[in-house]
Amino acid sequence: MEFNLSEEQEALHEMARDFLSERWPLDRSRELLDARPAVIDEDVWQEIVEMGWLGVAASEEAGGIGGDVMTAAVLCEEAGRGVLPGPFESSLIAAIAIERSGDQALCKELLPDLIAGKTRVSVAIEEPGGLYGPETVATEARETAEGWLLSGTKILVPEGNEAEKLLVAARTPNGVGLVCVAADAEGVTIHRMDRMDAQSCAEVVFANAKIDAGTVLGGADRAQTLLREIYDIWTVLLAADLLGSAEASLDLTRQYASERVQFGRPIGTFQAVSHRLADILVNVEIGRSLLYGACLALDEGNDNAAPLVSAAKASLSETAVAAAETALQIHGGVGFSWEYGVHLHLRRSRCNAALLGDADHHRDRIAAHMDESWVAPVKA
Amino acid sequence: MDLNFSTADEEYRQRLRTWLKENVGGGGSANAVMKKAEEDSGSAKDPLAGARAWPRKLHDAGYVGLPWPKEYGGQDASFTEQVICAEEMARVRTPPLINTIGLSIIGPTLVQHGTEEQKKRFLPRILRADDLWCQGFSEPEAGSDLASLRCRAEIDAEGFVVNGQKVWTSLAFLSDWMFLLVRTDPDAPKREGISYLLLDMKTPGVSVRPLRNAAGGQHFNEVFLDDVRIPRENLVGELNGGWPIARSSLDHERSGLSGVIALEETLGRLWRMAGQLKRGAKDALEDPSTRRALAQHWIEIEGLRHLGYRTLSDQIAGKPPGAGSSVGKLFASELRQEMTRTALRIEGPLGPVAKRSPHVVDRGRWHAAYFDALAHSIGGGTSEIMRNVIAEKVLGLPRSQDD
Repeated sequence: MEFNLSEEQEALHEMARDFLSERWPLDRSRELLDARPAVIDEDVWQEIVEMGWLGVAASEEAGGIGGDVMTAAVLCEEAGRGVLPGPFESSLIAAIAIERSGDQALCKELLPDLIAGKTRVSVAIEEPGGLYGPETVATEARETAEGWLLSGTKILVPEGNEAEKLLVAARTPNGVGLVCVAADAEGVTIHRMDRMDAQSCAEVVFANAKIDAGTVLGGADRAQTLLREIYDIWTVLLAADLLGSAEASLDLTRQYASERVQFGRPIGTFQAVSHRLADILVNVEIGRSLLYGACLALDEGNDNAAPLVSAAKASLSETAVAAAETALQIHGGVGFSWEYGVHLHLRRSRCNAALLGDADHHRDRIAAHMDESWVAPVKA
Repeated sequence: MDLNFSTADEEYRQRLRTWLKENVGGGGSANAVMKKAEEDSGSAKDPLAGARAWPRKLHDAGYVGLPWPKEYGGQDASFTEQVICAEEMARVRTPPLINTIGLSIIGPTLVQHGTEEQKKRFLPRILRADDLWCQGFSEPEAGSDLASLRCRAEIDAEGFVVNGQKVWTSLAFLSDWMFLLVRTDPDAPKREGISYLLLDMKTPGVSVRPLRNAAGGQHFNEVFLDDVRIPRENLVGELNGGWPIARSSLDHERSGLSGVIALEETLGRLWRMAGQLKRGAKDALEDPSTRRALAQHWIEIEGLRHLGYRTLSDQIAGKPPGAGSSVGKLFASELRQEMTRTALRIEGPLGPVAKRSPHVVDRGRWHAAYFDALAHSIGGGTSEIMRNVIAEKVLGLPRSQDD
């Protein structure tokens, strides 16, 4: 019975935090808000690649470190705390998807280059229309005389402009799965989108675009479960990012409330302030506990993994936004100033809270799980 | 990370399950279980015989006083065994224990701070429910600001002479003993003049007046103390050193994982109740806001469970519980209330219908649960005090009070 990070995970946690606080100060993220899209500085990116972060959850054969989902979540938590721009997280999830697909060609050719930072791959799931979840995907892949062709529109594709390959969620004759498409293939049109946090993302339109060699990732049998698994892992990594962001907001505010003096005393002595922060601390601890539970369930292949993933995402989506809004409010005029940067966490958490299912979507998923496992009595 | 218990722990769980199956059975009412325990024990003429027989039976089987040392009747059990025991008992809904204040508050406090003689004298009697205990902390002028308490004790050659009043004292009317805080040095700063004493409720000068609570029940009391003599040997810890011990008593009161299974069980009932009701023209379980409210409770219960696992994991690794227990207490008491609010909302117009009335839903269970839950954010430290503790002890914000 051990339900906390292992020594190795703790060490990685600390190392990542130290690295980002030194190499990626909040000021740099704020400057990049005006650059639109925010692109990570090349030298910092190279260091991240060299530390092996992109392959943290990939096997050693593929050039990775061989960590589990929990270990990947440790890094995403720090990325959230440090407001680190892409393509770290999209590369990480792309690497996980490729390896778990077991696709020989992709694992041999694409994965090592992705982990080594030589090529960029992103994952395209969300579509216009306001629906969440793999079940609602409308983009379609069909087999024709000329091979597999893909049609449909994806939005909010992270680093969609910079990626060379895209893993796209699409409806196939074997259910909804992932297919791999070259960004420069005929029939692919990419338009830049802009988010509240200036992270690079794109709309990608496929009009009979040709799918790369091979067919649906995971093959006919596993296509659907593979996508479901990748969706859950990505969701949990977003939850980890939200946790880091929530803690960062809370830390900033705790410090400010201890130092800022009004009416002759630090404002943190006023319960109107301190009780709000106490409530956030409680929700952060609950969120962290759910995140660990979800990661462990995914790593063990537990049946209860999906509802726990949803619980972590729903809980942390709301906690991180509340933490950032509270931070902004308690910092007063300073909080609303561009220079101070409290708003960076609000921007990031708002974006991540809305991706891959907002809190309501995940509550609906949990209710569906309860329908199945908590059978209501037959009506009289 | 690993949530699995060891083979030895799983064997312990199996033995306990078997025992519970034989002695509690499936779905037997609390009264039936206690009745059976009373018959088995053969004790007569004590109006609380049934209520005492059940914890005695548990004690004989080795399932109470788990963390206490064996020499005082405890089990020297591991943290994991304690968790398994709490889980399994909650799962079959064992009847409440009449000596719960003794088992969960004063017992652990004596294990930690009592003299050898106090441990030998009191702990075995707590375990066997021979002595029932109540907690004499709150006073009319000292609730959340407990350290401003006024109940005073003069010291003479034989011990203490106590005068004052205690209030909101749960179960005082049937208790044999009270542990209480008294002021022994009125000139010292308020936290440094308090002592922790043990009082035999049959001592002359002790009078108990039951108070009816807002739910209509009789559970707590006023206790008046007029020239009550307490012998010197009933002092716990040092003279004027009672405050830190009281703080540790409160930490014992804020327990962890055992409440989770009860909450989960409550949610199951709530789900089944909703399955029988309508919301507008639809079944209540098809109403999106009802579904989301119930799913939110599922999330919160899982959050609390996994928080409990983290705390347990820290305890196993030898880290102290500390102020973190306030996080669980605050979250759990608010959650419990919110669940009863959800229940009344699902019942709609039938929510306020009282027990035994025609059209009452679920025999008025939620109506009662709603009132009972309101006490949870008040007793054992209000939610506001929990937030103060979290702000100061966990977040490290400057103290909000002036003293």
